[in-house]
Amino acid sequence: MPTIAIDAMGGDHAPDEIVKGVAQVSLATDIECLLVGDERRIQAVLEHASYNPEHISILHSPDAIGMGDDPHEAVRTRRGSSLLVGARAVADGRADAFVSAGNTGACVLACARNFRLLKGIRRAALASVYPRHTDHPGQDPLALLLDVGATVRCEATELVQFALMGAAYARRISKAPSPAIGLLNMGAEASKGGEALVEAFRLLQALPAVNFAGNVEGNDLVRGRADVIVCEGLLGNVALKLIEGISEVFHDVAGLAARRRLAWRMGLRLLADGIDRVRRLTDYTQYGGAPILGFEQLFIKCHGRSNARAIANAVKVAAKAVRDRVPEEIADALTALP
Amino acid sequence: MRMVRRRRRRGGGETLPSGARVLVYRWDLDKTYLRSEFGTIRELLRTAFERAEDKVDVPGVAELIRALKPAAERRGCRALIHFVSASPPQIGKAIRAKLDLDRVPYDGIVFKNQLQHLRPGKLHNLRQHAGFKLIELLRGRLDLPREAPEFLFGDDWESDSLIYSLYADVVAGRVGPGRLGPILRRIGVDPVQSEEVLGLAARAAGADVVERIFINLERRTPPADFRLFGRRVVPTFNYLQTAAVLAADGHLDAEDVVRVGGVLCGEAGYTARQIDNSLGDLVRRAHLTSAKAAALRQKLRAAGLLPPAAEPPWRRVVGALKRIRARGREKTEASGRGGSDAAVDYDAILDRLRPATHGGREARS
Repeated sequence: MPTIAIDAMGGDHAPDEIVKGVAQVSLATDIECLLVGDERRIQAVLEHASYNPEHISILHSPDAIGMGDDPHEAVRTRRGSSLLVGARAVADGRADAFVSAGNTGACVLACARNFRLLKGIRRAALASVYPRHTDHPGQDPLALLLDVGATVRCEATELVQFALMGAAYARRISKAPSPAIGLLNMGAEASKGGEALVEAFRLLQALPAVNFAGNVEGNDLVRGRADVIVCEGLLGNVALKLIEGISEVFHDVAGLAARRRLAWRMGLRLLADGIDRVRRLTDYTQYGGAPILGFEQLFIKCHGRSNARAIANAVKVAAKAVRDRVPEEIADALTALP
Repeated sequence: MRMVRRRRRRGGGETLPSGARVLVYRWDLDKTYLRSEFGTIRELLRTAFERAEDKVDVPGVAELIRALKPAAERRGCRALIHFVSASPPQIGKAIRAKLDLDRVPYDGIVFKNQLQHLRPGKLHNLRQHAGFKLIELLRGRLDLPREAPEFLFGDDWESDSLIYSLYADVVAGRVGPGRLGPILRRIGVDPVQSEEVLGLAARAAGADVVERIFINLERRTPPADFRLFGRRVVPTFNYLQTAAVLAADGHLDAEDVVRVGGVLCGEAGYTARQIDNSLGDLVRRAHLTSAKAAALRQKLRAAGLLPPAAEPPWRRVVGALKRIRARGREKTEASGRGGSDAAVDYDAILDRLRPATHGGREARS
């Protein structure tokens, strides 16, 4: 069974929700969980939960990086933080993957500082999964978007590498044998976008190992056109936050409508089942987290607001990625590059 | 009202003089020794008609019980092993055959002779259960040497922690008749049984003999739920943990713990990591000191149940320093927590049980 290190002190609801999530995993699976953080605080939460101690160990770290801390400064100075101690544990082979809901910038930097990039990879990418329309039965209702923040600007070759990494991840985790790759752009034509996007389009189209679906526009993001959508970090982060924002507004509007008029409230009651399905689809807790790809080691980054369920699912995703040898799949995929 | 069928037999291998110090180990059977399933009528019936060879014991429990008598003899003591079971005597034959199959020596076994009280999944059972168990524990106590230390073993299904703690405090004289009566009433013990309990309590009280109450966390009840019972109650997740605490208390040897660990690995599929984590959990819950855990780990390593230490020398030095610091912390912790002398607040415990019993749900001990 894989050993998954979990940053117990990272996230808005740490350590309580993180530890409870790990407790759930310990009861439901054989995954070996290594909780990294303040041992006393972790133990205090653990003892109030149902858990299986046979699957849980604790690696004490006295410090924690806050969600609002400057990532560069924190990673440079706080070597005793749970994030850095956990990343070192993974780098040393004590655990097979790392899960954190902590400061995103610090997570990316912690990986860069402690993990080794896969051979040939120039830059790592932070991926995210989001709900999308499915075109055919059996299609994964979640698509992978990368990069969403590990980079700001990228070159064409880096976007191609992101495509290969995303495709490898989707092959293993979503079980899509030939995932469709889309390049996020301002138009469908090959000539659209800046120099980097035009070049990336050309390179991707020329790669036989990639099932390239062409350029995808913003409105295609939530359609089922592509299983993996590639973009530079700045654009990906804006797109991801837009999707999350729309989902939140949808819930807010529904709640407001229910409060305003009785007829709307009754209408919503009639639609409750459908709304609940939409809510479940957009509920980030069900897919837990998304990977930082490009390193020899695996890192699953969870939403900062993650609750116990999200953490439990993220740990399961990490274990699945270890079992399915995602880094090896990515390394193999990179051999397709000329 | 005759409630029980009693069977006594001699445990094997006792060569000590009758004047030797006696240690008493009293065990619950279902969910503590046996992995009985009582959740539905079907499971209850299956359990009732199960053959001895089909009964499944909790991993490591038989090895642990087998180790108790020889360990006591090595210390110049005599261990008595008794089972007190709420199972009906109708299944006693199969249970005794199972104990024989497991080569578990015992000196007495008691069954509850009231099949009509066995309603699966309902904790109003607690009323009959508490009365029955208290009566049997107190009766058994009267047959024992006054100062003989006792170790009780139960599970987290049927309020064993409450019943055993109450018994311990009654025997120690911390809960007198004036307090015991209202507690029994609050539990809902039948008035006839209450009278019997009060009568037996008056005769049995006098020595603080219950050293430990081990609760097998079969339902994975959060350990914090047992804090109200004080330090005497030790919730354990597996029998390696139970054996480790008994060894730390000086009643078993490290080799006995290793043998229990060997059974867990060899027969129950435990990994070295699970063995190591089990000890780590005990240390964090302050039931085992870091130093004693380290000593046990050394023995487990020697037996091949844990991988050899691959730490570089400098890390071992850092580890030793950490352990010294932790030991200091443990002493502070131990001094801050109640031992067996601390009075258990039964009102608080029953307040917590009350919503569960009234709601018809199973109460957690």
